[in-house]
Amino acid sequence: MEVELKDFAIGFEAETLDNGLRVIVHEDHAAPIVAVHVMYGVGSRDEHRGRTGLAHLLEHLLFEGSANCPKGEFDRLLENVGGTNNGSTWFDRTNYYEVVPSHAVELALWLERERMAHFLPVLDGEMLDVQRSVVINERKQVYENRPYGLAYERLNELLFPADHPYSWPTIGYTPDLEAVTLDEARRFYERYYSPNNAVLVLAGDVTFEQGVEWATRYFGDLERGPDVGHGIPTTVGGIRGNAGTETLYDRVSFPRVYYAWSVPPYGSGDWIALDVLSYLLSDGESSRLQRSLVREKELVQQVDSYLYPTASAGIFGLVATARSGIGSDQICGAIDAVIEGLEMDLTEEEVVGAIRQARRDQLNGLATVEGRAEELAYAATVLGDAGRVNEIMNAYADVTPERVIEVARRYLSPEYRSVVIVEPQTTEVAA
Amino acid sequence: MTRAVLPRPTPGSPPVPEVPDPENFTLSNGLRVVCVARPQFPQAFARLVLRSGAAADPASRPGLAAMVGSLILEGTQELPALDFHTRIDRLGATLDSRVGHDFTEIDLGFLTESRGDSLDLLRQIVVSPAFPPMELERIRLETLDALEARLDEPANLADDLAADALFGGQHPYGRLAMGDPEGVAAVSREELVAFHAEHYRPDGASLIIAGDIDIASLRDRLERLFGDWQGTPPEIAYPELPDPRQTEIELANLEIEDSPQAEIRVAGLGMRRTDPDWIPGSVANFILGGSTITGRLGSNLREDKGWTYGVRSGFAAGLDPAGWVVETAVGAEVAADALREIASEVGKLRDELVDPSELARAKEALILSLPRAFETPARIVSRLATLEAYGLPGDYWKGVPDRIRGVTREQVREIARKYFGSEGLARVVVGPKVESA
Repeated sequence: MEVELKDFAIGFEAETLDNGLRVIVHEDHAAPIVAVHVMYGVGSRDEHRGRTGLAHLLEHLLFEGSANCPKGEFDRLLENVGGTNNGSTWFDRTNYYEVVPSHAVELALWLERERMAHFLPVLDGEMLDVQRSVVINERKQVYENRPYGLAYERLNELLFPADHPYSWPTIGYTPDLEAVTLDEARRFYERYYSPNNAVLVLAGDVTFEQGVEWATRYFGDLERGPDVGHGIPTTVGGIRGNAGTETLYDRVSFPRVYYAWSVPPYGSGDWIALDVLSYLLSDGESSRLQRSLVREKELVQQVDSYLYPTASAGIFGLVATARSGIGSDQICGAIDAVIEGLEMDLTEEEVVGAIRQARRDQLNGLATVEGRAEELAYAATVLGDAGRVNEIMNAYADVTPERVIEVARRYLSPEYRSVVIVEPQTTEVAA
Repeated sequence: MTRAVLPRPTPGSPPVPEVPDPENFTLSNGLRVVCVARPQFPQAFARLVLRSGAAADPASRPGLAAMVGSLILEGTQELPALDFHTRIDRLGATLDSRVGHDFTEIDLGFLTESRGDSLDLLRQIVVSPAFPPMELERIRLETLDALEARLDEPANLADDLAADALFGGQHPYGRLAMGDPEGVAAVSREELVAFHAEHYRPDGASLIIAGDIDIASLRDRLERLFGDWQGTPPEIAYPELPDPRQTEIELANLEIEDSPQAEIRVAGLGMRRTDPDWIPGSVANFILGGSTITGRLGSNLREDKGWTYGVRSGFAAGLDPAGWVVETAVGAEVAADALREIASEVGKLRDELVDPSELARAKEALILSLPRAFETPARIVSRLATLEAYGLPGDYWKGVPDRIRGVTREQVREIARKYFGSEGLARVVVGPKVESA
């Protein structure tokens, strides 16, 4: 099959410092800005049940200053030069990044050096308590006090065995957050925040030579840390935690159905074919699920699918919200029918459309220097090679209808699926 | 392990922020076209801005403009709805409409290889939508469900109460742009057709395009596609409002049993987007709550107290004076404390001149963020659409750095006194019961 998509690649050069820090530089001089991105190979996958949320809580703490940069100063210094910064934690990685005008790259690198080398002296109980409270409030705001907010948490608990780290949410459980001690935070930091467990990407108005020189100046003298293995197995299809269907009751007006399957990990050929399948199922108004559930049967207000680019296993999910008067069982039946009927009239044209949609979203994600920095850092962190991001992007064009059907049949099987149904609770909300 | 302490580098002179120079032309039918070529990536974005939003709804039909905005995507004179969407999806394009209070905006995103077909689909929905009765009935029911579902979100309930307290039901900004159940239930196909015929007109509308485009051939292509589209839409009148700043507004407290958090809004009447106060207002607001970590509100409520994940404030842009709002969600048990701290921070900005270094930092942050604001074709379209929508001059963005630099400490205090008043602020708490202060 010919998809008329030109090969597209993010250009970069890479070098590894003696202490194991991987440095990647992507040059783009279109605007006088540079993304400075540090990604650590640590996430909630490195926690244990009963001690969840530590990786993310530590990320919060790492914005609270360092030995040579007091609390608050970090953000103020960046604001002074018109820079922006943020961080995030997920299953497999934690990242910190700044986007700065090109005159202030060294400042951003210095701040990241402070984060990697001079944090422990300032970590104290008061800092821990304030950020613990911020995170518990984050959990309330983003999950507990939102309609349907706890559904994904339950879905992944059902999808993976209790000792698999994808079975708990990255933000952690409140009792675990309450129990985190200073000593645990220290030990976690010492283990994972080392040059050899990090990738530094500079993307934008900077040259490779300059980037490597700066990286050496600000990180080259730091000692290598312990070698950390992550020790979680690749777990694909067929794992069953408590798999099955569970119903939650929430303050919502309409039932919502969540499906999830554990599938091959990010970067595999099957993962790419599954991503095309995801587009084909729900992206755009003419996609299979939209057409059937929204237009023809008028069962749902909206339906979406997603595929996580996760390292131990991919997670493929579907979410659909009922229209008024429609039951969750009708929705489940209709979704099952769409998946079962996938072969019907599946044309190359339809698959090519899905591939173009995927390309469109990839290009959108790469439109900013920060987006490119993150993609390179992520591939380097979870796949061990930044260049894989380009290979993956260009491999979509080779996906055929037969491949889409093959992965659908192999992985989206009902017996390995977790389902969460959120139903409106019957008690009235007091006005 | 000893680790060397390196001296903090001092950045040299910042790069001069550059904003793109668009190429403008007007088609023979009056449609203004603004384009910027950015060929780095093989895709482009376009936005059509029509100066008719929910403010054009007749009093008896709240939601009419929004329903028209939804239905133009549901079939044209040339293609039934599903065929139309199949075309879009096969091209890997996106086509969406958004109806706000002041404007209807139609966004198109496309890969370079499909530009001709994509622009033709844009033409079809703008010039010749079919409003099929069957699709109207489906969209009507979906919209009614969406109106109900959004009330499940405590944050939406808080937003609605704040809008109502400031603008009431008589001004469009006091109502939802998507309408209300009565209006949506009653709207007829004839009304949709008539609204479209009256308001979807090229004279006064703008099409902004940025990305991998060839501007020379674009003009001919657009003239061919849109040349037959003709006409001028009516001016939309906004009702005169009594100034809410003159009155004491009671605390609006909606209780939700066992709510883990309090959604809080503190809101006042702001200004038109074209108001000369907009730039000093942006600086003053940035100091108070423009950034959740370094703003005064965030430093206090989040970084010092740990009460919230985030707190921000901002002026909304409008053709008419729109709102200014502080928004946050805090632990239910500290709702009253948070209201008090917000009032205290706002009061300080009214009473005391800001520290010169704090002002300088806010200015640098705003000025030097401009290159990021224009980094991608989609962002360029968005920034230039703002100029077109509000009728701001074409060199507006070029002048922004100097205007920001000129803001003084006294001006910041003036802004706080004028807009962050001690009276006339609406306060909303959704979640726990709080005693009215």
